[in-house]
Amino acid sequence: MEYVIMTTGFALTISGLYGLLSQKNMIKMILGFTIFTTGINIVTVAIGYIKGGTAPILDDAGKAVGKYVDPVPQALVLTSIVIGLGVTALMLAYVMKLYKDKKSLNINDYKDLKW
Amino acid sequence: MVGPIYIIALALGLAFFLGFFGKNLKTVSGFLMLAGLAFMTFVSGQWLMAFVNGSVTTQEIFTAGFKPPFSINLRMGMEEAAFTFLVNVAGLLGGTYLFKTLKKVGNASMSVFLVLIMSLNVIIMTRDLFNLFVFVEIGSIATAGLIILDKTSKSLQAGFKYMIAIGVISGLLLIGIVFAYYFAGSLNIDSIITANIGAAKAGAVAVFLIVSALILELKPFPANGWGLDVYESANPGIGAMVSAGIATASLFVLYKILPMAGADWYQYIVIVGLLTFVGSNLIGTQQKNANRLLGYSSIGQIGLVMTVIGLEPVLGESFKFIAFALLLNHFLAKAGLFWISGIIKKESIASWSVLRKNPVLLIMFIFAVFALIGFPPFPSFFGKYELIMSLVSSDNAWVVAVILIGSFAEGIYIFRWLGDVLKNENSEEEAINIEWNKLIPVALTTIALVVTGFMSVSFVEGAQIAYFIPLAFILVIGLIDFLPAYIKNTVSIAGMAYYTYILYPLIEDDLMRTIFFAIFMIGGILTLIVGYNKTGKREGFYPAALLMYAGLATIIASDSMFGFFFGWELMTAGSYFLIIRGKRSKPHAYSYMLFSVAGAYLILLGFGMAYAGAGTQALEALKDISVLPTIAYTLLAVGFMTKTASLGLHIWLPGAHGEAESDVSPMVSAVLLKAGVFGLMLLFLNMGENGNTLLFVLGWVGAFTALTGNLAATFQEDAKRMLAYSSIGQLGYILFAIAMMTQLGWLAGFTYVINHFAFKAILFMVIGGIVAKLHTHNLYEMGGLIKKMPFSFTAVMIGIITLSGVPPLSGFAGKWLFYNAVVLKGWYIQGVIVFFAGTIAFMYAFKLIHSIFLGQLKDNHRNMKEISSSILIPVYILIAGIFYFSAFPQDILEPIGNMLAGLNLAGDPVVWNEGGLATTILSHWNGTAVMIIILTTFVLVLGYLWLLTGKTKKLEQFNIVYSGEAPFRPETTHVSYNMFAGLNKAIGFLVAPGISNFWKKVSTMVLDLAGVVKRLYSGNGQVYAAQIIIYIVVFYLIALG
Repeated sequence: MEYVIMTTGFALTISGLYGLLSQKNMIKMILGFTIFTTGINIVTVAIGYIKGGTAPILDDAGKAVGKYVDPVPQALVLTSIVIGLGVTALMLAYVMKLYKDKKSLNINDYKDLKW
Repeated sequence: MVGPIYIIALALGLAFFLGFFGKNLKTVSGFLMLAGLAFMTFVSGQWLMAFVNGSVTTQEIFTAGFKPPFSINLRMGMEEAAFTFLVNVAGLLGGTYLFKTLKKVGNASMSVFLVLIMSLNVIIMTRDLFNLFVFVEIGSIATAGLIILDKTSKSLQAGFKYMIAIGVISGLLLIGIVFAYYFAGSLNIDSIITANIGAAKAGAVAVFLIVSALILELKPFPANGWGLDVYESANPGIGAMVSAGIATASLFVLYKILPMAGADWYQYIVIVGLLTFVGSNLIGTQQKNANRLLGYSSIGQIGLVMTVIGLEPVLGESFKFIAFALLLNHFLAKAGLFWISGIIKKESIASWSVLRKNPVLLIMFIFAVFALIGFPPFPSFFGKYELIMSLVSSDNAWVVAVILIGSFAEGIYIFRWLGDVLKNENSEEEAINIEWNKLIPVALTTIALVVTGFMSVSFVEGAQIAYFIPLAFILVIGLIDFLPAYIKNTVSIAGMAYYTYILYPLIEDDLMRTIFFAIFMIGGILTLIVGYNKTGKREGFYPAALLMYAGLATIIASDSMFGFFFGWELMTAGSYFLIIRGKRSKPHAYSYMLFSVAGAYLILLGFGMAYAGAGTQALEALKDISVLPTIAYTLLAVGFMTKTASLGLHIWLPGAHGEAESDVSPMVSAVLLKAGVFGLMLLFLNMGENGNTLLFVLGWVGAFTALTGNLAATFQEDAKRMLAYSSIGQLGYILFAIAMMTQLGWLAGFTYVINHFAFKAILFMVIGGIVAKLHTHNLYEMGGLIKKMPFSFTAVMIGIITLSGVPPLSGFAGKWLFYNAVVLKGWYIQGVIVFFAGTIAFMYAFKLIHSIFLGQLKDNHRNMKEISSSILIPVYILIAGIFYFSAFPQDILEPIGNMLAGLNLAGDPVVWNEGGLATTILSHWNGTAVMIIILTTFVLVLGYLWLLTGKTKKLEQFNIVYSGEAPFRPETTHVSYNMFAGLNKAIGFLVAPGISNFWKKVSTMVLDLAGVVKRLYSGNGQVYAAQIIIYIVVFYLIALG
């Protein structure tokens, strides 16, 4: 099961990256980027997964000891999602401003700076 | 002590708190932000002081009451304290600089600015990988927000490209971190280092992703188009933050992460760094936009520091000093330059000449660019010197070669830029609007550059505080620059005389040094006396002149290679500023500087090889270099020959000397060139058997230099250029003479050195004075001045008699010794070439005196008066010297001969008998007797002619005809015009500008290459992201594939 999750995660990462690099529309590029980060988040969760594990809550009986799912990756993913939100929002804000400036969403139209 | 955690707490709290302020309290908010930044600076500064004093030890700060790996922990050690102090200083100064801009944009921008600086503090202090990721992201978001501080279309585009690039990079960083956690079971950097996860293939991939993401954060060439766009388009205040603050923190992160990757990874960092350093500087040569150029330069400098980080295992003890010196230098210089750019608001570097309207800004600019290129007394000079010494010693000379190539490329654009600043035309109405909050940060970085340079002394072997004494005096002269020239002239002469008095005891036991010292210091004082005829303030002249003389004195007085090189670079800088003062000197000063910089690098590499063999900085290390001696000696010889302007390396000289001001020409010609001779002599004495082939080649080079220099001189129509070419020829003789390595050859060499100093000073002073009076350099526009300027005529006459080696003057002593030496050495063919060159010297000497003083007086010169006595006084002092030397050569040459007998020179000495009779195996000569005979004859003939004058008929100007020639242009009627046309037809091809064309082609090739490479930066944000991916793939294939 964890391999399925991890493979899915990597597939999403790669396809997100591909989208980011191949789409000329800046909104679509940002969509690619969010797929990319989502993929990474799924990979992260998959890393901490243990087959048949329980939630990492230590109760009195101590049943969870030894077979709970690693909580650290889950904590990391939460933070990472929040950061992803911030980055995506800022990117979209940028695209809005860019669109107002040149009335185009095509990345190829924004090459005033080069060489 | 305030805990470091309060840096973060305060910044976060304040950033949050500022959000509650309405739009009306912007000024209050601004001061609160500055107060916050000051507090952060204070806390880290306090820790830094404590670590320097040794009163605290490294502190580990745990959060949430758990020890790592179960909690995030921060570290505050010496390094963390230093780096947080740097970024906080950047924040405080940058915040001051941006004060009004941030106020205009609003409180939110101040919050973002605080958050940026805070995040940099955390990524320096944290020992937790994920925490590192989070704060790298926070910093990036804050940067992305600040990039559009000036809401321009370009900065919007740059910001978007930046976000895409950083998004991809941090995604890769996160994958790497997650897998590092998977394999090591911890996020704590120290635990991961202990786990050594890089040993297994899978773990190595995790490490690879982390390291390459951190490298990409540093904008490695060529995957850095997004970074360049930011530098170009963002507010320069933000550019300064990116270049100084963010890069400083990122470099520290790379440094602390690398142990995690293991020993094999350091070499890749070296390669990545070198590629970035060379690539960025190379493309920089093609830039005309100032901020983009600063971007290239920033990225290049960061590449250099990256290289040093990768070299940590090689550099050992000196690593920390080198890395910190170079980083600090970049930090201060680049922040200063970005801020200056923001003050003057000029896009094109060509229009930066507006800086001249504000001397303070101009000085700060000059300090910053000289710090960038690594001149003394700035920290980068010490850092680079130590770096190169350590690298050559550890068999990494190839790294040195690459670094020097990159540095040279840096010199290409830095000195073109400086030339533009110093010489380009300014329009009248433009003025720089100075805001104090912007000026103060630049001033502070400039002061810090000097202070940190001074503090670097204790870290480098051979460096002495004493080298700074003349610099302090120059600073004083610089501060009184507003006074009239004659006051500064007097102060300068007094200062030089006093410094001579102090230094003399150091070298009085060494005759060779004493002779050169006398030439430099006496020559310096005499050439300064000429300056009394200048009116006005002569702004900037005296610091430059004294800098050159300070350098020359340091070269002579120092007993270490470091001291020699320190002096060499001071001299180069000073002479550059002198040369560029000429009206049309911009291109000539530029080529002078490029040759000098390249020569200096060769010398540096040679010194490194000497140090590698001997393990000491003392000049004795040059003796019998054990590491690749032939290469080392050749590098040093070529390095010194850039200053003696030997054939092939001479193309800078005619313009540089010819276009210089009238009193600068003798300084850089009669005096400065001898520094190269001193270097060569020092080198030759130490070479031993290993140098024999080199000496043979140099003998030929000297011979051909003499021939081409003299030949080219005969074809000049420009009086000062003629003298300049003549210097090339004379230096050719000297090179030839000392390359013989016999006692006679060296004695001839010394005689030429003394003579050339005296007569070239005389000629350049007098001709310079005449040129300034007549407002023309062209010989065919002069003539008949003998009666208007009799003292000048006599001086030039004596000058050319000495030059051409005719008895009774001391030039003949040189020639006599020279031919004895050549015959005894057996270098007959070369000797014939030199002899031929000597004959040609008569021709230009004749042309010189004839064209100026004889022939027809021009109509517009009828009211011409004698040149200023402030020129004639030093000239006649020198003439007295020549007469003394000519009449009593034994007084000077006998001690020199005795000294030479003690050196490892072949052949027999000259024997001096009673009454000044000199004998060699071949012949004998008596300077005193010759002088008496010729003077007696001269007086008798003169008396006879004077008796006859009653019977002569005075010819008027129009008693001539054109002798059948049909003049088609006015100047062609002048006898001096194309005087040696026949000679030109016969052998003029020898001086065709082949060598200039060669160097021109070389420079075009370099610039074209840069032009092709820069097309990588297509401007498309997506392409930049793809370049990042390609970079990672290639890096993967090299490192792990």
